[in-house]
Amino acid sequence: MKFMIFSDASDLSKQIMTYLRGKGDFFLYTTEDRPELLSYGATKVTVLKGDQTPESLSSFLSSEFKSNGFDSIFIASSVIGRDVASYLAQSLGLKAVPEIYDVSINGSNVKTKRYGLGGKVVLEEESDAKIFTFIPGISDDNPSGGNSPSESKEIQKGRVTITAVKPKKGREVDLEKASIIVSVGRGLGKKEGIQQIEPFVKMVKGELAGSRPVCLDYKWLSEDRQVGYSGRKVKPKIYIALGISGQIQHIAGMRDSKIVIAVNKDKSAPIFQEADYGIVGDLYQVVPKIMSYL
Amino acid sequence: MPYNIIVLIKQIPDLELIKVNPSTGEPILDGVPYRFENLSKNAVETAVRIKEKNGGKITAILFGNDKATQVMKEAYAMGVDEGFIITGYQESNPIITARVLSEKIKQIPHDMVILGNQSADSMTGLLPGMVSSLINEPLLSSAVSLEVNNRTAKISSGTEREVLEMEAQMPVVISVAQEINEPRFPPVMQIIAAGRKKINIESSQIKSESMTKLVSRKAPKSDRKRIVFEDVDKGAQEVAKVIKEVAR
Ligand SMILES: Cc1cc2nc3c(=O)[nH]c(=O)nc-3n(C[C@H](O)[C@H](O)[C@H](O)COP(=O)(O)OP(=O)(O)OC[C@H]3O[C@@H](n4cnc5c(N)ncnc54)[C@H](O)[C@@H]3O)c2cc1C
Repeated sequence: MKFMIFSDASDLSKQIMTYLRGKGDFFLYTTEDRPELLSYGATKVTVLKGDQTPESLSSFLSSEFKSNGFDSIFIASSVIGRDVASYLAQSLGLKAVPEIYDVSINGSNVKTKRYGLGGKVVLEEESDAKIFTFIPGISDDNPSGGNSPSESKEIQKGRVTITAVKPKKGREVDLEKASIIVSVGRGLGKKEGIQQIEPFVKMVKGELAGSRPVCLDYKWLSEDRQVGYSGRKVKPKIYIALGISGQIQHIAGMRDSKIVIAVNKDKSAPIFQEADYGIVGDLYQVVPKIMSYL
Repeated sequence: MPYNIIVLIKQIPDLELIKVNPSTGEPILDGVPYRFENLSKNAVETAVRIKEKNGGKITAILFGNDKATQVMKEAYAMGVDEGFIITGYQESNPIITARVLSEKIKQIPHDMVILGNQSADSMTGLLPGMVSSLINEPLLSSAVSLEVNNRTAKISSGTEREVLEMEAQMPVVISVAQEINEPRFPPVMQIIAAGRKKINIESSQIKSESMTKLVSRKAPKSDRKRIVFEDVDKGAQEVAKVIKEVAR
């Protein structure tokens, strides 16, 4: 088997390459020029420079796919990756199964797993798909050593013009490694609430995380602290959810936690269904109470 | 300058109301009401804001079933001018959905097609690129802000590591991210008025087919203890005990 990988996210590049090692030859196409990507066993690493819009990237990848005789395409699920996958599916006339976290390929039959109904169920499917987008977690990240040959290619400009690129702040925390996570939701009510919760986080030697509104919409916390389907997938020993309603997209990121504790003032909040211990009450009253017993 | 805008909207089962059959682990979808998909609302809001500033017309297209009229009425109440429901939706298959929507889009003169970047239920994230590809119009993807000026659309797009500013000439497809706006709640009077407005219903001529063969669809096992305290003091004591055990 001969696999084409496209990724603009190095952590996913590494997971996908680790996963594919031993299953065939794989070629990484990436927008990131990072030397560490060369030590994962890729037959070749191609760094894509120039235009970074999905349409332009996929027209290059489409011709690479045709001229190299790849069997299937593994794409890191990211804002750009998902668009690239959809263009490739259309231009190459191939089936795509998106957002998978598990795959086994047996000739033309492919078994995949992904979430459905917003994260409520797992879909186990069979198909003859050739294009896949991967969410984080398909494999660990183990370099194989060695040094893949690399080249860079210039992507031609398309119909969309990128006029400015502003880097976002880098990742501050490794939530995946935290043993206790204190996660706050919209129920925090205000940005200053973070400071009021911090002593508790310190006391339990935890890391602070949040739901999507807190990280993305209100920016009370940085984006890299967002837990959930489109954020980080965490499995601490204790996950403490404060003022989080427990919508499935959030649960999809913390489901594998060992113990879940939830504080919510609404007795009927769905988070209580996903919790081992729940306290119905105002988080600003409950948290100091817990601290007084620690 | 007034713009003709098409918004693509989706109805989804109310995810919070889906129960799981405890013995099989399978979801129970019978009787679960449909609602407006989250990102579709952001898409409508985006279109309405452009119309309020520049004038023009908003046409909504929904690929669904005849139960979708409620969602379309809500879209009307938010500011959509004309709505088409195309019936025949069977299951999530972005290739089919993109084909059905693109056929309709091609019949309607437009400057922009606006849709959510990833739906809240099936979350494939493949529709924007497929529509862009099928109608052969450039895609401005995952907009967190949008400005239009003189037939140029300009967005900020939030990728995982960067914010990209990008622009393209109309006609253009724009997919929006949740952060782009806070969708409005239309006043009751507007919803009542919207209830009287005509909704066009057509049926899809494209044959539905499955993307995959479903082997199993089950909720991941959750064996949480679900011990809930309404007595805060007692709860705090118990929780402190649990934390101490682990932190030790
Ligand atoms: C494609 C897609 C992907 C998504 N990905 C993610 C994701 O990765 N992560 C994520 O989190 N969300 C994600 N979401 C959003 C998700 O659907 C919910 O909107 C979000 O999780 C809700 O966040 P929340 O629980 O903080 O807010 P809310 O749902 O508003 O809940 C706030 C809760 O706080 C409680 N509360 C209020 N005040 C207090 C108080 N003083 N004390 C105690 N409790 C209080 C309320 O009772 C309520 O239950 C995604 C959505 C979509 C469509």
